[in-house]
Amino acid sequence: MTATASWRRLERRLPILLLLAFVLIFFAFLLAPIVFVVLVSFGDSEIIAFPVTSYSLRWYHRLLEYRPLLDSLWFSLKLAGASAVLAALFGVPAALALARSRSGLADLVSTVLLAPLSIPMILLGIALLYKLSAIGLGISFTSLLIAHTVVSIPYVVRTVVAVYRGIGRNYEEAAAILGASRRQTFTYVTLPLIGSGIFSGMLFAVLISLDNLSLSLFFGSAQTNTLPVVMLSYLQNQFDPAIAAIGTVQMIIALVALLLIERTVGLKFMSSPS
Amino acid sequence: MTAAAATAIRRSRRALGAGLWPVLPAMIFLLLFFLLPLAENGLQSLYVPDAAGEPVFSLDYYVRLFTDGYYLGVLGRTIWVSLLATIICILIGYPVAFFMVRHAGRWNGLMIFLLVAPLLTSIIMRTFGWNVILARNGVLNSTLMSLGLIERPLRLLQDPSAVIIGLVHVLVPFMVISIAAVLKGIDTRLEEAAELLGASRWRTFREITLPLSLDGIATGAIVVFMLANGSFLTMLLLGGGSVVTLPLLIYQQFLLVQNLGFAAAMGNVLLVLAVISLFLQLRLIRRDGGAS
Repeated sequence: MTATASWRRLERRLPILLLLAFVLIFFAFLLAPIVFVVLVSFGDSEIIAFPVTSYSLRWYHRLLEYRPLLDSLWFSLKLAGASAVLAALFGVPAALALARSRSGLADLVSTVLLAPLSIPMILLGIALLYKLSAIGLGISFTSLLIAHTVVSIPYVVRTVVAVYRGIGRNYEEAAAILGASRRQTFTYVTLPLIGSGIFSGMLFAVLISLDNLSLSLFFGSAQTNTLPVVMLSYLQNQFDPAIAAIGTVQMIIALVALLLIERTVGLKFMSSPS
Repeated sequence: MTAAAATAIRRSRRALGAGLWPVLPAMIFLLLFFLLPLAENGLQSLYVPDAAGEPVFSLDYYVRLFTDGYYLGVLGRTIWVSLLATIICILIGYPVAFFMVRHAGRWNGLMIFLLVAPLLTSIIMRTFGWNVILARNGVLNSTLMSLGLIERPLRLLQDPSAVIIGLVHVLVPFMVISIAAVLKGIDTRLEEAAELLGASRWRTFREITLPLSLDGIATGAIVVFMLANGSFLTMLLLGGGSVVTLPLLIYQQFLLVQNLGFAAAMGNVLLVLAVISLFLQLRLIRRDGGAS
């Protein structure tokens, strides 16, 4: 091969190589903050400084000593779980009806059901604080549960509608033709088919709830502090690697959930914007 | 009335509601705890306490928001910061989406995972991560100093550029995902045809690929703009008061001043921005539906 020929080949591939370099830099940018937080969480230093010279688990021990962080994580998990269950109870029947409806009303209904996703959370937080205080709920677990359920419903509806539309009518029609009652068809055919959709919709709802600062902010008290609220106030008062440790713990929970979603329905439902 | 007519009526009734009753519990719940609170919040912002502390109807909060130089500045900055973040997300996100769809091959799945994974880590953790990188004795400064490029640490935090970096970092995955979804749908034969007819690769991209992917850019831009408009954590933790936007001001009004009526009014201005974005998004989706 002559030099000019290989030069020409390089010239032809150059744009793609440049693009590849750009993409690699992009992912470095995307992952860098996360990687460094994890590194800091295993550091031994009192202050956050680089490079990390010695590693230890002292900040994870600190989590066990300084209870508010772990307590709020536990509180957040309970809240996220309860709101996901509630969102499924409201959202799944609605999604099943919407997915097969040809009514003109269906458009309007699905716009309303998905709307909480498009409203600035901080506004929803203020509005709900007013409303719930007015009806005597005020700052309580119930208030937080209501607020988080409002935001969780769209995730369940969106995922279940997508999964239910994807499976078509054939299975249910076959069951009906073979003599199954509507109830039997639902229990033995529909539910198993959409189970993965419900599961991943609820998991998304849990993850969103765990990270929802703007909404929980308004309902914070000693008894009702969620993890993001405690993390924020910790960060503003003492800037030490304990915050990195609790962030890492939360990330591991989220990553396990993400892998579960991957295994059940895939990530594509996460990515559709509406 | 004949039996046939009765059946027809029943059928038309069913078509109208078409078995939509299972949506009722969810609709009632959202009516009570979503639509109603937002509407009441709108009313609340129209009542301003008078000298005696009694709420009276007044447009005072809105007049203040739209005439006072400080608040106009905040409003303008909110829109400007979101726009800037959106534009940077497009410029960074497009090449990544293009690579993902056209060249990633079997790495595509890994790329999607890496894009989505940060979205599921706590936003506080990600913002804290930028603190770690940009702080005085952070990663960037210590690297630059050990390389001998700078002599004393640069002041990178508490600066508008830190806010933009943080916003772009949080929001760019949404842009990549939106653009990739549209790029995937483009018939590559159109590009092949253009190249066969003698167009250069750049010209093919400029005249075929880019125009066909504008919908993806638009969808992504609306999502990013809307999310940027509503975020305050990035401004709070990375801006250190150098970038005061509407959501940050709401947060401060609520926590420090406890002026709920004024916070509600600012929230409603934010809502108007969100509704405009939502309206644009719906129109885009409609157009998509009509085209396919």
